Amino acid sequence: MQATKFQVKLYTRVGDIELEKLIPVFHEWIRTKKISDELLIDVADYAHVPQGPGVVLIGHQSDYYLDVADNRPGLLYSRKRGFEGDFQAGIDDAFRRALNACQLLEGESSLGLQFATNEVLFRVQDRLVAPNADATYDAYKPALEQAASAFFGGAPSLERIGTEREPFAVRITTGASGTVADALARH
Amino acid sequence: MTSWKEQLGDRIPDQLAGEVDLFEGQIELKMQGKLDDKIFAETRLRRGVYGQRYDNGLRDDGTGQKTLTFPCGDLTKGPDTVWDAPGMMRIKVPFGKLTVEQLEVLSELAEENSDSILHVTTRQDIQLHYIHIEEAPDMMRRLAAFGITTREACGNSVRNVTACEYAGVCTTQAFDVTPYADAITKYLLGHPDVQDFGRKFKIAFSGCEDNPCGLVTFHDLGAVAQVRNGKRGFRVVVGGGLGAVPVQAKVLAEFCPEEELFPLTQAVARVFARLGEKQSRARARIKFLVQKVGIDEFKKLVADERETLRPDERWTAFLDDLHSTDEKPVREAGAIPSDAPAGFQAWAKHNLKPQAQDGYYSAIVKLPLGDFTATQGRALAQIARELTGDSIRCTVEQNLTIRWLSGADAVTFYDRLVALNMAAPGAGTITDMTSCPGTDTCKLGISASRGLTGELRKRLTVIEDELHPAVQALRMKASGCFNSCGQHHAADIGFTGVSRQVGGRKVPHFNIVLGGQWTENAKSYGLVVAAVPSKNIPKAVELITGHYLTNREGEESFQAFMARVGKKEFRKVLAPIQKAPAYEDDPSYYSDWGNPREYTIGDIGVGECAGEIVPFVEFGLQEAEQQLHDAQDALEAGLSATAAAGAFNAMVTAAKALVRHLEVQVTDDADDVVANFKTHLHDTELFHDPFAKGKFATYLLKMHGDHSYEDADDEIAHRTLDEAQLFLEAAHACYQRLTEAAAAAAAAE
Ligand code: HEM
Ligand code: SF4
Repeated sequence: MQATKFQVKLYTRVGDIELEKLIPVFHEWIRTKKISDELLIDVADYAHVPQGPGVVLIGHQSDYYLDVADNRPGLLYSRKRGFEGDFQAGIDDAFRRALNACQLLEGESSLGLQFATNEVLFRVQDRLVAPNADATYDAYKPALEQAASAFFGGAPSLERIGTEREPFAVRITTGASGTVADALARH
Repeated sequence: MTSWKEQLGDRIPDQLAGEVDLFEGQIELKMQGKLDDKIFAETRLRRGVYGQRYDNGLRDDGTGQKTLTFPCGDLTKGPDTVWDAPGMMRIKVPFGKLTVEQLEVLSELAEENSDSILHVTTRQDIQLHYIHIEEAPDMMRRLAAFGITTREACGNSVRNVTACEYAGVCTTQAFDVTPYADAITKYLLGHPDVQDFGRKFKIAFSGCEDNPCGLVTFHDLGAVAQVRNGKRGFRVVVGGGLGAVPVQAKVLAEFCPEEELFPLTQAVARVFARLGEKQSRARARIKFLVQKVGIDEFKKLVADERETLRPDERWTAFLDDLHSTDEKPVREAGAIPSDAPAGFQAWAKHNLKPQAQDGYYSAIVKLPLGDFTATQGRALAQIARELTGDSIRCTVEQNLTIRWLSGADAVTFYDRLVALNMAAPGAGTITDMTSCPGTDTCKLGISASRGLTGELRKRLTVIEDELHPAVQALRMKASGCFNSCGQHHAADIGFTGVSRQVGGRKVPHFNIVLGGQWTENAKSYGLVVAAVPSKNIPKAVELITGHYLTNREGEESFQAFMARVGKKEFRKVLAPIQKAPAYEDDPSYYSDWGNPREYTIGDIGVGECAGEIVPFVEFGLQEAEQQLHDAQDALEAGLSATAAAGAFNAMVTAAKALVRHLEVQVTDDADDVVANFKTHLHDTELFHDPFAKGKFATYLLKMHGDHSYEDADDEIAHRTLDEAQLFLEAAHACYQRLTEAAAAAAAAE
């Protein structure tokens, strides 16, 4: 059985986060169907929770967080439903959707945000199939390396992080310095 | 491993495993179209799988109602409930108690199946939102492996049994109510006598009479611990409840010996199942039955029923070991270091309570809006594992209390909370507000209670240290609608969401409810003072607290002040901010807190037809409000009969305004108004509330029929006023619907 609940987080590079400003932006995305191949449903506001999920654009297939966990604001893409396609395609798709959302956010002039491409956090929210263990890391490493170098170029370095109680997580240092648009154009 | 079922195997108790399998089977059947919508909905609710806002597949995006096209097509999980739409899972946490491992598994589920947030409810449960129904069975298995069942968390069943979060460690308790709450939870779960209720049944325990933690007076059945002549027992109250018409529970037994508690409860359950209302949901809670037959007759019915019960050894078996639920501290008792840092001291002032056991403390982790993250949950569990053991309790104030903290570890504990951003001071003060889910996720929400609470919290936290101690001590609670899930009746300052029509548009408002008493187990409820636009509520809080501070005498409490000056005075104080500015002048009033979408359903144009008739109806409704306010004043002055008659008149005035709005000729005579109201608004269902149906209309019709408002005593007057308040709300809502319909018709032409 394959896990599909992938999460990809890209950190902000420029701009202070004022979470409240995300609320009208996400509502507008729902109204204009900004992510056209996904059903966007509602906005959940957790700005009151310190270092929490921030503001969440709730969708059917996936959620998009402007997440402030660890005091490191970033865009967190979170797939909730199954994915049609092979393992590598599933990982590539998660990277692409995260990058795409970053690009859309960069385009929102009210926010003034830019995202960095030198570091990516990858997680799987599925302890049954993908516990935070060496075996999972071995299974995911090649596909993550492939996705990272396809989007960001070069040879990424990977590190499994967190404890067994936490979801499986990998910190990917890409070495890239380009923009989100560059990454999307590359792959 | 390919499934949780396989992975967890024997760790799931057999009975729970069977139940989850059954539920999974029903999900399968439903997906194959082989199960009826209503039956599936009830099954799902009984297992704590609730609906959530927009689950009918429709959502207003601020410019009109749009369809959410879920991939499931026509598949539903209940009447008008789309299969794929996100739902809520309410996880029953008996008396709020969580072990370290339970908190860990809940945190895992929050991450994997929800949005990484765990929410503590006002009845000590945990809720997860945005859940897909197909993921529910595995979630239940993972919870079951750690002894948690979601069963009977919702639906017409015995809801979570609540109890004071200090049970067992409290300095004022008669004795520890935990083993009783635990045993009765197990006894009643799935018991045949509690399956046939017309409505939910809530039980609460309190360890003492005076402190509010148990809040027994607004429960269907409440038990307050007492010791008489060395014998343990309970003062048992019955028929309390919040909701649209709040009722204080009545005493069923002044002293019920401990061994009689279960049979007494069972007898109450059987009487309720047999005689409680089944058809009309609105009148199905036990409070209505107690009111209908009277407490004396009810006592007799219960006593007779008690005689028929076949003895059950479980009634008393648990009494043999009342220490089975005791918590075992993991660290030696100790004193708080005398050189504790200032930050700690400030936190400890409200967040640390000495226990009855020397050298141990209970620490309150104050949560913003009852929310915490999975990461925080996991880290807190680890802290508890190291310092306190399985001693976590969810509280009715939507916080977490961690008991059995050694004084010697208190500073370490605090430092670790600081690192988790969980060391907010001021537990139980004005910054520690309670809120129901409101329009964020509740299908019935009218106003954004969470949005409001978040806003007030933010503003007050900044000035927390400068607030006068008397203001700091006030409690505020918000509910998104009259259902009162936020328990706002039991607060010094409470808020209930209502909507009002201003110049052809809707404006979110909150009714301000003042003077509810939180202490002595929520001894009395507040009354509505005024409806204020949502966006003016922060100002209202400023005015209310300011007025209190400037005008109180000596150390007078808010309660005493209210009792002295009355609500009339506060109405004057709030008058300048009761009116929303015109849309053209300030559109911000036309959306709610934390939600930029315009607060209207569809595009309600200021159509020509509406333009003509709006002023008249609005005038009539306004007049009715005024009459109701006068009636409230009369009540405060002790003039019960005048108050009740005034409230009835207010209803007649509102009814008349609506009847005229339909261009029906009507005189000022009450009989004429009520007859026409019945024909044109009630019988046509125009006045029907989408959820409460004909409930509010019945208040007027019934009162007109039985003249109960005449010669009313204090209790009847209170009820009449409450009913009139709801009738007026319904009248406003009805008027809104009529305006919308007219505007839509005009647009179609
Ligand atoms: C989808 C709609 C609803 C949601 C999301 C909701 C949510 C809640 C929550 C979170 C609580 C506290 C938790 C608990 O029971 O463990 C609560 C309690 C309560 N609910 Fe609701 N509720 C809903 C519908 C209703 C309705 C329709 C009524 C009444 C007709 C109602 C009446 C109450 C009352 C009176 C309480 C709390 C006070 C008490 O303990 O008696 N709720 N509700
Ligand atoms: S009070 Fe109303 S809005 Fe709040 S949860 Fe209850 S039903 Fe929903």
